[in-house]
Parts: sequence; C-alpha cells; structure tokens
Amino acid sequence: MALKDEVVEVICSTLEVKKEEIKDGQNLYDSIGVDSTEMVEVVVSLGKRFGIQIETSEITKFSTLEEIVSVIEKKKNAN
Amino acid sequence: MERIAITGVGVVSPCGMKKETFWANLKRGDSFVDEIKRFDASLYPSRIAGQVHELDHYTHLPARLIKKIDLFSHMALVASEQALKDSGIDLKNVDKNRAGVFMGNAIGGWLFAETELRDMYIEGREGVSPYMASAWFPAAPQGQVTIYYGFKGYSKTVVADKASSALALWYGAKIVAQDKNDFVLAGGMEAPITPYALLSANTCGNLSQNNLNYKKAYCPYDLYRDGFVLGEGSGIVVLEKESKARNRNAKVYGFIKGVGFSSDGYHYSRYSPDTDSLEGAISDCLKDSGWGKNEIDYICLDAEATIMGDYLETKALKNVFGNEIKNISLSAPKSAYGNLLGAQTALDLIATIFSLKTGTVLPTINHQMDDPYCDLDYTFNKPIQREIKKALIIARGRGGINVVLAVEK
Repeated sequence: MALKDEVVEVICSTLEVKKEEIKDGQNLYDSIGVDSTEMVEVVVSLGKRFGIQIETSEITKFSTLEEIVSVIEKKKNAN
Repeated sequence: MERIAITGVGVVSPCGMKKETFWANLKRGDSFVDEIKRFDASLYPSRIAGQVHELDHYTHLPARLIKKIDLFSHMALVASEQALKDSGIDLKNVDKNRAGVFMGNAIGGWLFAETELRDMYIEGREGVSPYMASAWFPAAPQGQVTIYYGFKGYSKTVVADKASSALALWYGAKIVAQDKNDFVLAGGMEAPITPYALLSANTCGNLSQNNLNYKKAYCPYDLYRDGFVLGEGSGIVVLEKESKARNRNAKVYGFIKGVGFSSDGYHYSRYSPDTDSLEGAISDCLKDSGWGKNEIDYICLDAEATIMGDYLETKALKNVFGNEIKNISLSAPKSAYGNLLGAQTALDLIATIFSLKTGTVLPTINHQMDDPYCDLDYTFNKPIQREIKKALIIARGRGGINVVLAVEK
C-alpha cells in the first residue's frame, strides 16, 4: 500500500470519516473540519502506525495530506 | 413569576426511548429492572439496574462524535433532539444567544474515564484519549448540547445527587422567567452502570440488594424495602415563558409554577431524623406557587425505599398537610425503572405532566406488605383515574438536599 493511502486509512479509522472526504491538496481543517483535539489523536495514531515519534507541532490541522506524508517519509528514512 | 411552559419532551429511559413508550410502559406497571450483564457485576452487593440497551438504534449522531463523548452525553444529546423536535421550535429562526441548556448530573461520565485511566496506567501518557479531558466531567453534556446546536445563551450544570435535575429545572425556569433566555433545554442525564460508578453507588449503602428477585427489588413504602435500584438515562424538556409559547401557538404540556428547597445540614449522607428541612421545602414551594394545601391533587414522591428515607418522607408529608393528605394522590412511578440519580426529577416531571394531561395517577409498583409506619395511600400496583390540576414533585439528595417543584396544567 502506498504511504499516502496508509495515512488516509489511519486518519479515517481514527476520526470515523470517509475516505472520499479527505482530498488531495486540501488541509484537514478545510476538508473535514478537524479540530485540535482530533489532531492530537491523529498524530498519536500515525506515530503508532509507522513506529515514529511525531510532535503535534510538526503536523497540524492546517497540513495538507501531501505535507503529512512528507513529514512521515522523512522520519521513517531518518530511522 | 410568569408561569413557565413545558413545550417539548425528550426521554431516554430504561422503560422507553420515546415519550409515548415511556408513558405506556409506566401505566402498565411492569418492572424494567434487570440484572447487569454488560460487565461482570457478580460480586457487587447490588448488581441490578434499570438499563438503556437501545441507544444506538435511536441515535442521530455520527460515529465521529460518539467516540469523543461519554454515554451520559450521548443520552443527553438524543433526549435533547427529541425535546427540540417535539417543541416545534424552528432553530433557523431563533436567537441562539438567548437559548440555554440547564442540566443535572450526579457522578459524571465514568465509562469513558475508567477505560482511559486504565489505558494511561498500562500504556503511559499516549494511551489516554485526548477527549478524556472533555468527556468525563459532569458539565460535559451541557457543553456537547450547546455545541451541537450552537446555543450561546446562559447555561449551567447542577451537581446535587438525586436532586440535581430538580435544581437544574428550577434554574432553567428562573432564567427564562428573568428573560435572560427565550427558551432553555432543561433536565438531566446519568450513566452509572459502569464498573467503578456502580461500585461507588454501592458504597452509599442505599441500593437494594434483592438481586435474586430483581423485578420486585425496588418496592418503596413496602415493609420489605431495602433501598432503591439504580437506573440510567436522560430526561430533557423545553421551557419557555407562557406568553412566548402562546404567541407561537406551541403545544403546552404543563407549567412549572414554583419551587422550594432546603438542606438538612445534618450528615454527609444520611437524612436528618428531624424532618423540619423537608417540611420547609414543601411549605416554601406551596408559598412560592401561591397554592393552598387543599389545592394539591398529586405528589410524585422521592421514594428512596430505605427504611428511614420513606418513613421520613411520609412523616414530613403528614406534618405539612395534616388531614388534607388523605385527599392527595401519592405515587412513585420510578419504582418501575429505578432512580436515575441526577436525571431522575426530569423523568418525574415528564411522568407528572402526562398524569396532569390524562388524569392518571401512575402506580408505585412491587407492593406486597404494608409498613405500619408508611401508612398513606401510595397508589400501589395499579394506576387510578382522577382529575389532577396541581402537583408537586419531591426530590432528595444524599444528606438531605431537599427540592420540591410545583407543576400545573
């Protein structure tokens, strides 16, 4: 599975939203109206899924899907 | 004070998830108390309760919201939606700065808290849900309901054990009477059927331990009573000024006319053996409503079903009403489904306004043997028909938080 699809899957299962709602090029606040508490949960879930440590300041509700994927890629490569 | 009209009703209860089923089931006089099976309760002294099993079938909320909130907020949101729909208020045409929420709750949201605290101790700080902070505390449902509808008017949550929603109803009525809000959602919610909440409720020592004969366990004013049975659920009503309700041609169920309250100031959990405070609350309520003792047709009782609780309530009624008490119908419909603690008076109010409307006194069920010290007519086992114009509702919290509401049609 491509990394991007995996990220979408984690976001969807964490927040109980549909895949179609998360759109390329849009940040999570604009697409699904994510709030800051939900973002904490998303960050924790992503960290667990990919075995990396992410700070809540690195991925925010104003990050697009592509930006989230690139943060995770960098962290994974650094490991 | 201008009369405050009740114009919408929402019910999430062990004996019905809609006002119609709630009423029909109470009239039938069956027991809705069951053994607790959702977790292993076999070692609890009291392991029976009136439970809500069908919330998921009646919910209108998305899964995304449900996972962030505790069961007690979920119940309050479902009951609030019913009440608002029932009231016919068009939310597009209201000033949301003048719409408020007044809730009663006794213990908070433990299903969420217990699970998350366990995860915190096992998995560490990342194991705990970020929603924990906003899910467990007693005012969480008030917050969730105001956020859901965008209500920004004056709102409050009252924590006062079994009298919580009685005080919340009074508080909401008062704010409407003072014209601070156009309308309020008022009532309460409670979800105490969780491993820890049930344990702490058991510690109080006023729950029935008649686990083997659970359908008959909650038998207030009976010689064999040994405490009340716990229940879970929510009752919410819409309150607005009579004039405003009439202006929009709303259906009006009844009116909140007055209140009386007092504290025993005696012990942290027991009632004072001297019933002056409870009598004072009843008298204050009559005075606040401008009613005479001989005008009351029905009293919805507190019915703690402990030896002392029922005796003291009976004694206070005799002292206040004297011979008039013989002309007043008394009953405790909650004997059918348990006491919902912080949500109880809201359901008592809903039952009472239907009693006013239909002229039906709901029964106190499970009576087998008379207690010579509880010698009033408590409408045992079968409903009776009579005209009811004016009614009182009595609620008592631990240690003697006494609240009496006056309701009329």
